[in-house]
Amino acid sequence: MSQSNYRLIKTLLLIFLGIWLVFTLFPLYFMVITSLKPVEEINRMIPTFWPHTLKLSNYAGIFADPGSLKSLADSVIVSVANTALSLLLGTLAGYALARWIRGAAGENLAFWILSNRMFPPVAVIIPMFFLFDSMPWGTDSYFSLIVLYLVFNLPLATWLMMVFFRDAPRELEEAAYLDGFTPLRAFFRVTLPLVFPGMISVAMLCWIFAWNEYLFANLLTGTTVKTFPVHIPTFTLGSQSLWNLIMAFSLVAMLPPVILFVILRRYMVRGLSLGVVKG
Amino acid sequence: MARLELQHVCKGYDRPILDRLSLTVEEGEFFVIVGPSGIGKTTLLRCIAGLEVVDAGRVIFGGRDVTRVPPYRRNAAMTFESYALYPHMTVFENIASPLRARRMDEASVRKAVLEVARLLRIEQLLDRRPHEVSGGQKQRTALGRTLVAKPDVYLLDEPISHLDAKIRHELRRQFHTLQELRRVATVYVTHDYAEALSLGDRIGVMGDGGLVQVGSSREIFERPNSIFVARHLGQPSINEVPCRLSRDGGALTLRSLEGSLSFAMNGSQRTILEKVRGDVLVGIRPQHIHVANGGSTRQIDNARVEAFEALGATGVLIAETGGVSLTVLTSPEENFEPGQPVRLGFDVEQFLYFDAVHGRNLKA
Repeated sequence: MSQSNYRLIKTLLLIFLGIWLVFTLFPLYFMVITSLKPVEEINRMIPTFWPHTLKLSNYAGIFADPGSLKSLADSVIVSVANTALSLLLGTLAGYALARWIRGAAGENLAFWILSNRMFPPVAVIIPMFFLFDSMPWGTDSYFSLIVLYLVFNLPLATWLMMVFFRDAPRELEEAAYLDGFTPLRAFFRVTLPLVFPGMISVAMLCWIFAWNEYLFANLLTGTTVKTFPVHIPTFTLGSQSLWNLIMAFSLVAMLPPVILFVILRRYMVRGLSLGVVKG
Repeated sequence: MARLELQHVCKGYDRPILDRLSLTVEEGEFFVIVGPSGIGKTTLLRCIAGLEVVDAGRVIFGGRDVTRVPPYRRNAAMTFESYALYPHMTVFENIASPLRARRMDEASVRKAVLEVARLLRIEQLLDRRPHEVSGGQKQRTALGRTLVAKPDVYLLDEPISHLDAKIRHELRRQFHTLQELRRVATVYVTHDYAEALSLGDRIGVMGDGGLVQVGSSREIFERPNSIFVARHLGQPSINEVPCRLSRDGGALTLRSLEGSLSFAMNGSQRTILEKVRGDVLVGIRPQHIHVANGGSTRQIDNARVEAFEALGATGVLIAETGGVSLTVLTSPEENFEPGQPVRLGFDVEQFLYFDAVHGRNLKA
């Protein structure tokens, strides 16, 4: 390929990427400026893309509102507890499937577990509601959401951890046995550190699902327990939506995942590429 | 400190790999198993280590039946062909691993690891991770991990096969001098016959289903019990000439089935072959043929050079005579052009004769 052709393609790619960047970042930009606008400016027929006045009072309003703060706290409780459980059970199950349940039985069991992710979640809403309603803890509790999210997160965690464990060389575990470690000690000493980046990725995926989930939370909970996605619609009043508050609150709720991702990015990339490149 | 015994060990997957294999390795003995790849050498080691459960038979360490004992209670140490170093630990922690398993106190661990590292000359690498050291150093780390454990049995799986020639030679020398390996039973697996002949107090040649022949390196090399063993030991490999015996009055002559090579049999050779019925596979080591310049050994005049490789320390000549291609070991100084006529001399006394059907050595 000639030099000029190469340049042309590179320029076109850069232009395309630029357009793509605007396309993906614009909603975020619009969220940020909306969260900083006063109500009057939001309600204009033609929205202002470069706001006239900027103020932080919307954020102050969010942090002064006990309902908003409690919904964030509820989300933290539900998502963290669910992630911890998913990771714990998924790691153990994934290890069992990768190492100890051999042949067709293991393959079919693993696929069956994953198939739990394949039906549309809406299909089980009604049965779930009645099921949880008849339980001692009822529908409107932390426990119900934590357990319910396991239905979706555990298959994912199990499947991914199984793949990571399969890619961790078995010989290292065998070497540990010969060093004198029992299978349980060898697991913690050798195998688990090998899949640690994978565990971080799985934890992030599970946590983001539990953090942002709306459908089930809205149906099952809402009074005693109210996660933040369920809280957002309460900013919509009879006659108008308080977009400035909705955006400010959403941005606050977005922060934890973004911060965590930045901190754990190193592990995430390694985890998601585990097994892609075998070292 | 223990001797290792295998009694009628069987192991198979879709086909039998070890078929009633029995073997005793004495305390202090360095036993080398050599054989082609894929024949089950590693499987045998894994059975001894306990990583595979034998289908039948018994594994005994120093009188203790460990057939049903899991690997972590057997007190065997093994190096893996892939080294199997823990990537997330330093060289120090890798070596210390067996001591950590025994929950030894920190001071003793440090002392023991340093001692082994000094012995293997890797003490400057202790803080590095396995991916930061070279292949030879990885191998020494793996070896250190087995040495520090002071096991009853050492199992070494192709420990130096994947290293370059110079380091291989150095480590081979180290195996000779490591006293630790000379105190307990060691089983060393390799596919390299030179390594086997160099290191083994005794050597077992492995074929389908188990050990085909066990003996000292001299025994195995000079008196292979079958063509399989003869074929596997020696580089360049042995010349195989299928021959037919013809008895013409009092004379006994071997004639090659292809081509027109023939040898008249006299003396001790004749005694061996006299009773033989059917065809004979004659094995001639390349060092038992030479390029003759006059002289009195049995000679063939009409040979012709096909190819010649000067390999530094030796020369390998491929010559054709009477329709048969023969490999000949020569000195490297000589030079041969393809097509050039040569005269070959044969040490007939050194010929090996094998049963043409079963490959059994007819001398044995």
